[in-house]
Amino acid sequence: MAMIFLDAQYTLDWSVVTDRWRQFAEGAWVDVWVAVLGFGFACLLGLANAILRTSGVNLFSIPSFLYVQLMRGVPLYVMILWIYFGVANVLGINFTSFQAMVIALALTGSGYTTEIFRAGLNAIDKGQMEAARSIGLNRLLTYRHVILPQAFRIVVPPLGNTFIGLLKGATLMSVIAVPDMVFLANELNVTLFTPFEVFTAVAVILVVLVLFFSALVYLLERRLQIAT
Amino acid sequence: MRLLLTYTFDWSVIGKSIQFFERGITVTLRITVFSLVFSLVLGLIVALVRMTPGPVGLIGFAYVQVFRALSLYVYILFIYFGVAALFGLNLDPLTAGIVSLTLLNSAYMAEIYRAAIQAIDPGQHEAARSLGLGHISTFANVVFPQAWRIALPSLVNQFTDIIKDSSVVALIGVGDLMYESIERVSFYQRPFEFYTADAAIYLTMVVIVAQLASRLEHHLRRHLR
Repeated sequence: MAMIFLDAQYTLDWSVVTDRWRQFAEGAWVDVWVAVLGFGFACLLGLANAILRTSGVNLFSIPSFLYVQLMRGVPLYVMILWIYFGVANVLGINFTSFQAMVIALALTGSGYTTEIFRAGLNAIDKGQMEAARSIGLNRLLTYRHVILPQAFRIVVPPLGNTFIGLLKGATLMSVIAVPDMVFLANELNVTLFTPFEVFTAVAVILVVLVLFFSALVYLLERRLQIAT
Repeated sequence: MRLLLTYTFDWSVIGKSIQFFERGITVTLRITVFSLVFSLVLGLIVALVRMTPGPVGLIGFAYVQVFRALSLYVYILFIYFGVAALFGLNLDPLTAGIVSLTLLNSAYMAEIYRAAIQAIDPGQHEAARSLGLGHISTFANVVFPQAWRIALPSLVNQFTDIIKDSSVVALIGVGDLMYESIERVSFYQRPFEFYTADAAIYLTMVVIVAQLASRLEHHLRRHLR
């Protein structure tokens, strides 16, 4: 392995990373998987919430509005600790750290997805609902076959950005000891004292993942545009 | 199955810890304000580099893409442990936190500035140039004052993200709101009460800043009504 000596006496040894590329890949996979799960639940929560929000019934729309403000105003780090230690304590449930992380991401993400779905639903012409209702579809069927398919195209690009935000947020999971790539890097740093190599590896992996998903969102956005 | 009622809340621990909250909030505000100011300046420079034609512009583009892609926690670990060890720097956690927040947010702010500058009608630039103003004077006296009005609400909104992200600096031992709270939690063993209080405090700060942004937007657009 090539060694480079710098005047600060820090010896670079990239074999720490290259010898463990498989572990880093597995760690990165945990980040992506948790982000995907959190994002999936965030979408379900957000869609339900957006339908309440746009219902025009104050009893539903006001709590839904407050929910969005709350979820968007609380830092992810606070959310993680609140769920894993606080809520678990109060309810007497022992979440695994993995579950706690997915819940935290889902809640934080749902604040954003609600607003995205709301904008998407609002963008659909009112006449669509009226027309579908007047030909005999009930509300549920109208949403299922008329409103949601149209709203889908509008919400894809911003949802993609939310997913990327959640992926970045997922790198916090090592604070409650979910073994992701940051957890691995921290462990290697403590045992081998190679902070520069391991954290550079983490940074590079994260940049590559984020740019990959950004490109994917961009392509999807273009595809949907052509279709319309 | 254990029920919710088996837990007895004790909110008095919050009242007993007011001084710790105050200390933590002061540090949080200091970090966020410094980071805001630095990233406002750095963001503008990056935006100008990014809009320069040719290879220089590519550097700006790469900066924005890469620096936006990292999470604050990864930044902090990379800078506080990685970069510091490589160069033999004795970085204090506060500086590492501010540098991390600045690098991350400057990339976002560069995009806000760029969008605002590009929103200004090219005719403004042409008119100023034809009146005999130089490139720099045109930008400083004609384009930027108008772009600034467009950018300001979004820039202030970015401040809400800085506030929220700043909570992560507790992980390298900066004595911010989260750090103080975690200390108090280990003292009283009352995670729910403390983290709920933290959530409320962050939420309050974010709502105040967001309100400020929307008022600013209203104020800056008054001539358009």
